[in-house]
Amino acid sequence: MHTLRWQHVTGGCMAQIVNTPSYVKDVAASEGLMSQRRRRTIIAFLFILPALVNFTVFRYLPIIASFRTSLYQYSLLGGYGSFIGFQHYARLIHDPVFWKSLSVTTRFVIYKVPIQIVLSLGLAMLVQRETFGAGVVRSAILTPMVTSIIILSILWAMMYHSQLGLIQSILGIFGIPHLSILSNPNRALPAITVMMIWKDLGFSMIILLAGLKGIPGEYYDAALVDGANKWQAFIHITIPLLKPVLMFVIVTQTVFSFQVFVPVYQMTKGGPLDSTKAIVYYIYQQGFSYQDMGYASALAMVTLVLLLVISYFQMRFLRAEA
Amino acid sequence: MKKRRPLFLPVAALLFLAACGGAPAATNSPTTASGTTSQAAATSAETAPPAAMSAPAATMAAVTSAPAATMTEAATMAAAATTAAPAATSASAGGAPGAAVTINFITIDDPDLLLAQQAVAQAFSKSDPKYANVTINFQSVPFEQLFPKIESAVASGANIDMFLADAPDVKHYAYNKAIIPLQDYYTADELKQWTPGSVAEGSFKGVFYAPPSMESCSLMFYNKDMTDAAGLQPPAKVQGWTMQEALAAWKKTTLDKNGTGTPTQWGVRWGQGTYQGDYEAGIIRRSAGKKGSPTNMGIAPDGVTFHGYLDTPEAIKSFEDYRSWHRGATPVTPAEPINNIFFNKQSAFVVYPDNAIGTINRLYPNGDFHYGVTGIPYYADGTQLCHGGSWHFGVSPRTANKDISVAIAKFFGGPEGSRIWYSKVHQLPARYDLLASLPEYNKYPQQLFNEGLKTIEVPRIETPGYTEYQSIFGELMQSIVAEGTVDVPSLVKDAATKMEAALAKYKGWNQ
Repeated sequence: MHTLRWQHVTGGCMAQIVNTPSYVKDVAASEGLMSQRRRRTIIAFLFILPALVNFTVFRYLPIIASFRTSLYQYSLLGGYGSFIGFQHYARLIHDPVFWKSLSVTTRFVIYKVPIQIVLSLGLAMLVQRETFGAGVVRSAILTPMVTSIIILSILWAMMYHSQLGLIQSILGIFGIPHLSILSNPNRALPAITVMMIWKDLGFSMIILLAGLKGIPGEYYDAALVDGANKWQAFIHITIPLLKPVLMFVIVTQTVFSFQVFVPVYQMTKGGPLDSTKAIVYYIYQQGFSYQDMGYASALAMVTLVLLLVISYFQMRFLRAEA
Repeated sequence: MKKRRPLFLPVAALLFLAACGGAPAATNSPTTASGTTSQAAATSAETAPPAAMSAPAATMAAVTSAPAATMTEAATMAAAATTAAPAATSASAGGAPGAAVTINFITIDDPDLLLAQQAVAQAFSKSDPKYANVTINFQSVPFEQLFPKIESAVASGANIDMFLADAPDVKHYAYNKAIIPLQDYYTADELKQWTPGSVAEGSFKGVFYAPPSMESCSLMFYNKDMTDAAGLQPPAKVQGWTMQEALAAWKKTTLDKNGTGTPTQWGVRWGQGTYQGDYEAGIIRRSAGKKGSPTNMGIAPDGVTFHGYLDTPEAIKSFEDYRSWHRGATPVTPAEPINNIFFNKQSAFVVYPDNAIGTINRLYPNGDFHYGVTGIPYYADGTQLCHGGSWHFGVSPRTANKDISVAIAKFFGGPEGSRIWYSKVHQLPARYDLLASLPEYNKYPQQLFNEGLKTIEVPRIETPGYTEYQSIFGELMQSIVAEGTVDVPSLVKDAATKMEAALAKYKGWNQ
């Protein structure tokens, strides 16, 4: 044992215990493995440590601070006022604009995510084959993803403009008179949704494309031999094998879409008639325009909880399906 | 080798951590494009040798913020700033007089104002040898982001020395101690050099906080070619048309030359830019009331009550009129605003302060924009009025260079600074001495602004919650012109409720 411990200290190299009895070798081997495993764990931990520090300092601590702020009267310039407990949470229950903003956000997610997933899956299948021009198509679809959202919002607002917009000119070709889009409460949210689908299509397409490329071709060959047509292959092979990737895309896109802010801020300022007032814009408005950071924090906490619940059920549902 | 391995890992990890340490800080930089660049420039100026870096920092701010139309002039100024940099090289570091210092100044992203600020900043550096090495790093943001930017900068303790404050916001900053009082830096006689309205707007509870640059009064400009074509002759006096008369003129100048059902030339744009804020749009509702009436006051004397002031029958009627201009059977102004609509010769009239003259001169240096000025339209059974006040120079309580910042504020609002400012912006000066020295204010059209300032100017509503009010007011105006069915009275009453809720925290502020 003494020899063994000494060897462990010196590095636990198996070559140095060749002449020891077999039971000692086994123990030494297992301790060596443990040591290696521990070392690997430490290395892995050190690699994720910066991310952990980042998350702790810039994510988790602000969440805790935000929760604390939600229990106080607080404004950026005025600082902490009196402790009011859960009054902000009680207030939001009776706040019609909060419910409206929640409804707007939910509708935005419901409009956007399914359409985006279907379109991006279709596009991913279209460009997965290395045919002529596939690279160009892929790049074209990915371009909006890497373009600044603020610039895109400005450009799309110009395109939607009821008098000067490009879209109006296109409609004009077909004899359709100029439409108010962003100043119409029924059209403003769908207009933002269309822009955001176009913007985010590349992201979900590239993830799904990676998922599609990971499905072995043998499955399709076997299905072909068994007489399955393309639709059957898609339903019984592609979809089940793509489910983990689909789950990732759906969950991330739901979360991202729930946090829509920039296009609302840039294109409509939440209007007209609160028709595009998404929850994150409402939080911003309460915190920075209305000087009520305490209430804004309460709204942020509720949004966080909602997102956690939605993500949990989405993952559970999709895992069960898988 | 084996013994070194356990040591190697922690060292590598520490190095890795150290390498990653700077990344999160970068994510805290401002999100707007111009803000990011300017902030980056400011950071460089702080970390690199000050003399060498401060001038390029200012250069970046100027060039990034200025639109294409002003690039040449801005670039010239930037080049001048860069040329001046070597002089700073010999300066000693630290806060002593003569040292190289960078003053971070949050301002508005307006081409004319940026040019004026750069020019005054250069003059300040030359005004006294001890300021030769002072560089002012302007960080510009759009108007709507100015208040949040100042607020978050002060609250987070960011390295901000000064900011441009909209007149009605000074009270909010003072109420929240986000601006330092400058009362002790001015004598009573010095304060009398500005119009009383400007001093009042730069003060809070009788204490002076922020010197003004300009005064203002919006009147109605018109494109002479368009009015001539329509056979209109707007009166060349402050007391111009009533709303009814103006509406008839706007209708006459709204033309659909292509026959598409969408006008190619609009009658009017009421206000600057594309924002429907209180400065101009708020005049309409107040004009609907007789002088001294609740409608005309716009807010209760307590500075937090709006019911009975915003939603009076005559005020609601004015909001309905505003909607009809955009959405009526014969609209006279686009429901979705068009940027620079008047300057691009797409509308016949515009309600604007006299800095429009500076913009016209800049955009049409050959004088091929023929314009005239008439009084701001008013309700015949109400009051003619224009909102006064303009920009003030605030010093942040977070500044590490208080003396220099105060000196800059004094210079910018002083005789020389105001004169340079005026030469770029061409807006009513707040200083009497400057106003008296400008012959153009004794003849048409600028004479009307001078007269307007004396006869019809009123300050915007006085409340420390002006930003909250303006935010809700802007939303209200946006909703009023929405397409479809809109219940204007309900929207106005609802807005009054929201305003009171948002301002409830300021109850008793002026007692």
